[in-house]
Amino acid sequence: MSTQMPEVEVLTDFAVREHRSLWLDAWRRLKASRTAMLGLVVVAVFLLSAVGAHFFWNYNAKTDLDYSSKLLPPNLVSTAEKPGVHIFGTDKLGRDIFTRVVHGGWNSLRVGLVAVSISLIIGCLLGLFAGFFESFDMNLKEKLVLMCGLGLVLGLFPAWIARQWYQTLLFGGLGAASVILEKKFAHVKLRPVMFAAAGALLGGLSGLLLAPLVGLVCAVVGLLIGLLLNKPVNGKAFSSITMRVMDILLSFPSYLLAIAIVAFLGPGLEKGMIAIGVVGIPVYARLARSAVLSVSQKEYVLASQSVGEGHGRILFKHVLPNILSPIIVQATMGLASAILSAAALGFLGLGAIPPEPEWGAMLGDSYKFLSSGAWWAVLFPGLAIVFSVLGFNLLGDGLRDALDPKMRIN
Amino acid sequence: MAKYILQRLISVIPTLIGVTLVIFLFQRLIPGDPAVAMLGEHATEENVARIREQFGLNRPAFLDRDALVEGDLPGFFDSQYVRYFNRLLQFDLGDSIHRRIPVAETLKERFPATLELALLSMFFALLIGIPVGIASASRRNSWLDGTTMIGSLLGVSIPIFWLGIMEIMLFSVFLKWLPSGSRLSPGVSITPITNLLLLDSLLTGNFAGFWDAFKHIIMPAVALATIPTAIITRMTRSSMLDVLQEDYIRTAAAKGLPERVVLYRHALKNAFLPVITIIGIQVGTLLAGAVLTETIFSWPGIGKWVYDSILGRDYPIVQGVTLLIAVIFLFVNLLVDISYALLDPRISYD
Repeated sequence: MSTQMPEVEVLTDFAVREHRSLWLDAWRRLKASRTAMLGLVVVAVFLLSAVGAHFFWNYNAKTDLDYSSKLLPPNLVSTAEKPGVHIFGTDKLGRDIFTRVVHGGWNSLRVGLVAVSISLIIGCLLGLFAGFFESFDMNLKEKLVLMCGLGLVLGLFPAWIARQWYQTLLFGGLGAASVILEKKFAHVKLRPVMFAAAGALLGGLSGLLLAPLVGLVCAVVGLLIGLLLNKPVNGKAFSSITMRVMDILLSFPSYLLAIAIVAFLGPGLEKGMIAIGVVGIPVYARLARSAVLSVSQKEYVLASQSVGEGHGRILFKHVLPNILSPIIVQATMGLASAILSAAALGFLGLGAIPPEPEWGAMLGDSYKFLSSGAWWAVLFPGLAIVFSVLGFNLLGDGLRDALDPKMRIN
Repeated sequence: MAKYILQRLISVIPTLIGVTLVIFLFQRLIPGDPAVAMLGEHATEENVARIREQFGLNRPAFLDRDALVEGDLPGFFDSQYVRYFNRLLQFDLGDSIHRRIPVAETLKERFPATLELALLSMFFALLIGIPVGIASASRRNSWLDGTTMIGSLLGVSIPIFWLGIMEIMLFSVFLKWLPSGSRLSPGVSITPITNLLLLDSLLTGNFAGFWDAFKHIIMPAVALATIPTAIITRMTRSSMLDVLQEDYIRTAAAKGLPERVVLYRHALKNAFLPVITIIGIQVGTLLAGAVLTETIFSWPGIGKWVYDSILGRDYPIVQGVTLLIAVIFLFVNLLVDISYALLDPRISYD
């Protein structure tokens, strides 16, 4: 007996390996990848220098001006003939390019971060709900909220025509009624007619109070709304409507829509952030939706559903954590492209308002002086963009491998 | 099949209407009075009135509910958007504010320059991207594969406008090998047929003209081609890697077929569908990238025109070009979808 004991211990030791979470595992794999760590270091250097410069290195762009030292080439040591150290040289207004590249990082990276946050949060929520309700039936409460909301939104139209805002409430109520009465008149063939008539009456009667023609138009609109509301919208319809709206945004290639939006809004960093963020929404919505669709038929989701967990709990406790990896990878890569878009806006003069430093705007300012041979004024801001974007791309590539559960280290 | 194509064509219509709506809504984003914003603060009364009339700014945006109260049903629908949409149906994109000529006319004039640039860039991207992608997939983890992956990552990380600036600096300013700006040197002329200068010069046998046009287009085309090249390479590589693991590839190799035949005949055919999707998306990247590339190289296409119009606040031009690009992009992706049905017999679309 006593000789058997050690064998058993060896066996159990082998069977139960040290517990590691997915995230710890991923981190180990990330650390093992040299390119990913390079990306992480580059990203960290840029983030730290930008944040550090913003808070601890005083720089006033408005007073930084020195015509006596304009367009000086890089100078590492201060001598009698070449006084002043400018490791990246100076620009057309005699401003030290190194200072402006470091401070410009704050603006460029900030645009990228805020823009990605906007697209990430809105896009993921849309995609989550679209994907979830495509695969799960809505319960009564959710149907009520959806149909009531739909009625309210559609009701805004006749309400606006007749300037009778209470009409939205009437149509909201019609939406709710459609859900509550779903079972009752399910077999009645006249159900669509009933709802159309109800809609026409609601709109028409209130419109008549204003003018006969208003009443007529409101009745027609109400009739159409009634027809739409007669059958409660299911999750699939909700999902396909959301995705169609995303398709419209996606028909403008990459940053073109952002350029157009800011062209009309007028230049400014904040406007750029919002424009780039809005343009990025569909990418995350599509990604989140397809990830939810692939996860929602998994056993653990079905199990949590069968023990009677609520939809909110299933969505945020079981589905969301399991679709995080592709979203994290996309967000990292998305940061890279958001920085590029921000630089493009800046270059076109639609980003930071001068003299505020920003990498793209610095390039846009200086490239016209190229023929005079001032290569340093365009080389260094450009390199800053290239390296920061490359850093995020390397990190994203590494994360993709690290977060892939198929590549788990045993 | 025909039914599927028709279905896809019809499904584009709501998206197209949505696109016109988004572009129409642009002009609502202009802060303050749009007419004054377009003309500047020193605009004459007469000009402001002209702009108001052109944009129908004295009409409501979508529907006129006041007309309804007065019993005027046609007046109800007489709005800025309806007018805008009606004009679009007649291919009228409005007039340029400053030059007062139709946007569509100048668009026709300037589009060939952009088309030529985009086509040549796409040609470069395919010429490099697909063979390199195949080679690096077939020699996975070799030095070639490593270089390709780093190169393609670098390709998507370089801002194309910066690359353009660097090209000008190196080849025009320091080495003085290539000219920068415009499509031809002064004094050189090419008889226009298609207005694609490279094609026209070949068609008319004007080789000196071809060489001059080529020297002008090569730098912008290379700059514009970087992102598509990088992405097409990556996609070809990863799609080929998937296919190369299939049994039929092993069978083909086992029965002694030369590697070239296995790669190009057996693997590429099956790996090409995802690559086509990416090519469709890259058409969009090229058209959007044209705004930046053309600005750097003073290329007289629609991209440079947009840039100039943004500076000059000539909003109808920005709207017109954005619409054109979005419509082209939509239809290219539609073609990609339809080509799927044609190329892949496994997918049925009934």
